Amino acid sequence: MNEASLTALLLTLQYASLATAIVFVPGMLIAYVLARFSFPGKVFVSALTSLPLVLPPTAVGYLLLQMLATDGILGREILGVDLDILLTGKAVVVACAVMSVPLIIRTARIAFEGVNDRYEAMARTLGYGPVETFLRFTFPLAARGLLAAMILGFTRAMGEFGVTVTIAGNIPGRTQTLASAIFSAQQVGNDHEANFLVLVALATGFCAILAAEFLSLRGARRRKSP
Amino acid sequence: MSNGHEIRAKLNLPLDRFTLSVDLKLRRHVTGIFGASGSGKTSLLETVAGLRRSAQGMLRLGDQLWQDSYRGAFMPPERRNIGYVPQDALLFPHRNVRANLLIGQRRARCQGQDVEALQQEVIALLELDALLERNVDTLSGGERQRVALGRALCSGPRLLLMDEPLASLDLGMRRKLLPFLRTIRQSFDIPMLLVSHDPIEVQALCDELVVLQDGQVIAQGEPRVTLMQASRDAAEFAHLVENVLPCRFERHEGEATLVRIGLEGDGPLLTLPRVSGAGASAQMIAVRSRDIIVSNTRPYGLSARNVLPGVVRRVAAAGKKYLVFCAVDRSAVELAVEVTLASLQELDLKPETPVFLIIKATTLELC
Repeated sequence: MNEASLTALLLTLQYASLATAIVFVPGMLIAYVLARFSFPGKVFVSALTSLPLVLPPTAVGYLLLQMLATDGILGREILGVDLDILLTGKAVVVACAVMSVPLIIRTARIAFEGVNDRYEAMARTLGYGPVETFLRFTFPLAARGLLAAMILGFTRAMGEFGVTVTIAGNIPGRTQTLASAIFSAQQVGNDHEANFLVLVALATGFCAILAAEFLSLRGARRRKSP
Repeated sequence: MSNGHEIRAKLNLPLDRFTLSVDLKLRRHVTGIFGASGSGKTSLLETVAGLRRSAQGMLRLGDQLWQDSYRGAFMPPERRNIGYVPQDALLFPHRNVRANLLIGQRRARCQGQDVEALQQEVIALLELDALLERNVDTLSGGERQRVALGRALCSGPRLLLMDEPLASLDLGMRRKLLPFLRTIRQSFDIPMLLVSHDPIEVQALCDELVVLQDGQVIAQGEPRVTLMQASRDAAEFAHLVENVLPCRFERHEGEATLVRIGLEGDGPLLTLPRVSGAGASAQMIAVRSRDIIVSNTRPYGLSARNVLPGVVRRVAAAGKKYLVFCAVDRSAVELAVEVTLASLQELDLKPETPVFLIIKATTLELC
């Protein structure tokens, strides 16, 4: 394993962790609102949050590129400050965040929907306000499903490619991630390196999915017992 | 109960099939909310708990206003100080029994109650000692309900709401848990609302009964008379048991078991077919008013095992039939007997008429 690959792997872990950390809490709150409340336009919000799952990543990347360009809605000319995101590590984090939050929201929503809302009513009658009820009862009861959501979101971020190369490029040592390193290795015919990187990706992905499945199953079994 | 405990509820709540619409003034210790399933009982209880925000109207406990939709007042459930015991217990699966019991202690402490003493009392009354460290999903149905009851009481509630606390249990377990509810009734001077569709349960526990049908109150009052009225007015309440009396096991005699009825031990003995084991620890005995025969002379040559002298106290009309309430042996024990107008006139049954009550041993049920 050469140094560039190692750097790519470490960078990927950092960017994916950061992206997951940033979007997990807001994603979870959106999921809770979608699971528990009905409001006008709920279907629309629900569809919007899932959109990145079905759009071609290059399309998402293109939209972000438009927004972050100098004259875009998040660009220097409109904001008045330069966020300096494109082609930097920040762009990788943005790409990872945008692509993993739909998965987090979907999985967390299922976790919340699996918690009988009468437990929340029960907690209210025992003297706990809505926020405390969420923190002390809903959250721990949904914890396994939420952990699964976090793992899936993190893995999605680890494997992000399309959006990343569009807005962050593929700069070794700066924006090159595991996915783009595999792409580069394969492009230049370095099969040995590509094989190794693919193996790493396979192993992390497989473990993550296993863990998530296990947690969801256990969570479901636990909530079923009255 | 003092006036500080009075529940005033004038509520409207649209449900799927009908609108729950009640206008209640409840001032007794334990009030039963009785009715067939789907009559709005649980919705009423949830509205009182503050869990149905869409309910319109006014609700107060004593001098505390809980809800007044005309003035836009609504007190959220966490500030109402209620203990809620649902049918399925709803114990928190991520906590053990002890932690479940302690969940509401913060509120009890805020009100300046002696939390430790309260917990000790509840644990002793409900015999929860051996369960404290258990995981809640290892509990049996009966244990679960006891813990749910304990959790509600440990939160120091001003009002106890019980939603069919025994309905999910089989008959044997139900009869075993009934004494616990009676103990709670005796030990806690807080108003209680008990939702139930078990006539024996409501008579064993309630001072007053509210009968709901399709969201409307169709009868309210003393449990026996109210049940009787309801059973006449609505076909779904036929086959009710009107007489549920406290009793104590006395002795076995051959193939028979003798129990003494009445709280003070001054009541007469009743004979019933021999019961074994758990039956001997029963605290209540039930008999339908239509299973009792009333006679104005002492009968002889009868197969019925129980012939009790008594005196008519009062007569209440219930639809086309009449309930004659008779004091047995001039004790405090009162039995309701169902008669037709013809019998009432022929026997000239009016207060102070001496009578004999005849009860077949096999119509008596221990519970």
